[in-house]
Amino acid sequence: MGTGGLSRVAAVAANTFRETVRERVFYNLLIFAVLMTLSGLLMARLSIRQQDKIIKDLGLACIDVFGIVIAIFIGVGLVAKELERRSLHPLLAKPLTRDEFFLGKFAGLGMTLLVNVAVMTAGLYLTLWTVESRPDPRMLKGIYALYLGLLLIVSLALLLSTLTSTTMAALVTLCLVVAGRFSDVIRNMRVVAPAVPDWLVQALYYAIPNFRNFDFKDRIAYGDPVPLAALGWVTLYAAVYIGIVLGVGARVFRSKDLV
Amino acid sequence: MSRLALLLLALAVPLVQGRIDRVLGEFRAQHEALYLWSGEQVRRVAPGLEGLAADVYWLRTVQYFGGQRAFAGGKRFDLLQPLIEITVTLDPRMEIAYRYGAIFTAEPSPIGAGRPRDAVALLERGVRALPDNWALRQDLGFYHFLFLKQPQEASRILFDASEMPGAPYWLKSLAASVLAKGGDRATARRMWSVIAEQSAGQIKSNALLHVQVLDALDEADRLTKLVAEYARRGGRNPTSLEDLRRAGWLGRMPLDQSGTPFEYDQRTGRVSVSRRSPLWRPGF
Repeated sequence: MGTGGLSRVAAVAANTFRETVRERVFYNLLIFAVLMTLSGLLMARLSIRQQDKIIKDLGLACIDVFGIVIAIFIGVGLVAKELERRSLHPLLAKPLTRDEFFLGKFAGLGMTLLVNVAVMTAGLYLTLWTVESRPDPRMLKGIYALYLGLLLIVSLALLLSTLTSTTMAALVTLCLVVAGRFSDVIRNMRVVAPAVPDWLVQALYYAIPNFRNFDFKDRIAYGDPVPLAALGWVTLYAAVYIGIVLGVGARVFRSKDLV
Repeated sequence: MSRLALLLLALAVPLVQGRIDRVLGEFRAQHEALYLWSGEQVRRVAPGLEGLAADVYWLRTVQYFGGQRAFAGGKRFDLLQPLIEITVTLDPRMEIAYRYGAIFTAEPSPIGAGRPRDAVALLERGVRALPDNWALRQDLGFYHFLFLKQPQEASRILFDASEMPGAPYWLKSLAASVLAKGGDRATARRMWSVIAEQSAGQIKSNALLHVQVLDALDEADRLTKLVAEYARRGGRNPTSLEDLRRAGWLGRMPLDQSGTPFEYDQRTGRVSVSRRSPLWRPGF
């Protein structure tokens, strides 16, 4: 892909970003702001010396869960909506390849999620500051890992939306996210089901995206360090997995009959 | 018209709720139910959100304990242990759940669940989960002394705690004192004062109450000695503590820190904390 290709991807991404950020993210952030403010005010009274940890847990869980909801439910509609509205045809009549369109959609939602995560992170720091907790920059490392996980979910949602209906794509993506959080259970499956062949366990363990890799929330909540080496490997894992999923997705989209 | 009807209906909600509260009582105890009884079950329901789930269960533990203690008629703490168990399974590093959970569990009924052995088991679990935490070992030692009356075991654990990095310097002398003096009140007072210093809110108040109980017991002992001296000099026990005051041995009628007069048994000459006093404890 040359410079022209990149600029076309960027144009689709910018357009997708404008659309998604305008429509839904505002409400998400509003709910987050209310939740964080209330938690900041209430936790001091309810939790007995746990307000810092609870605010961090709540804030990080919100970044995680709200991000997943946006990634899945907006992600599955990105391409499908264009197909339904038939707005894709005039776009593809321009000098824009299907691959560029597909990647642009991914990048656009990635930017929306980045803004979403950034604003939520700022809200989390602000809430911690209001309860006189010392701001911990190490939190950013864990939030970065969460963001990588969200990008992986977007790529899965996009791929599945090219294969099936939006409802089914949303459902399967959600199932994959949940399954990926049970990766430890999958790995130890033979303890409870010894009849399952080892190759099947291994295949499942490596095939299903391991969303545990992106979860440093408990470390952050207790102020434990997140090693840079671990972050590096997690980044590489996300890059490889997203690369595969987007590659397959673009291939499917390329061969899709749009008429 | 429909807008007016909606407005009227909206205004009716607080009025109706007010009536319900008046009929059923504003602080009616809620029926508490626990649908998942094990931390492992909850962990499987909330993958990746164990930390938040632990917080929610901890808040529920605190609310349940407070609700039972303050509002429930027949105070029962049936759900206390499973709630704490779920909390520490979801987040084995939550120190506060071990420390405060232990006090909720250990305190005698109706203040707490009255299960000191379970409290010690909880603290032992905490020590296993957080082996570098001196405060949990300190509490374990305290509980062996205060609730199980096992000074030797308490002293051994306190010595172990005193050797850990960050442990306060006085922990070693406290361990020695426990071993040397067994179950004396001064040691217990020192332990409750430490708990009060290290805690907040209800737990701090509870620890300070224990200190007041010990003060009241000391005062009762002092008055008993005065009665004995009065009897030695006069040949008979005084008819009431008022006799001591009239004789100039007391400036005013003695009250414990809750403002309740002490009880006096003329036959035995023993002064004790009144059963009507919030500082009265069985067995003293």
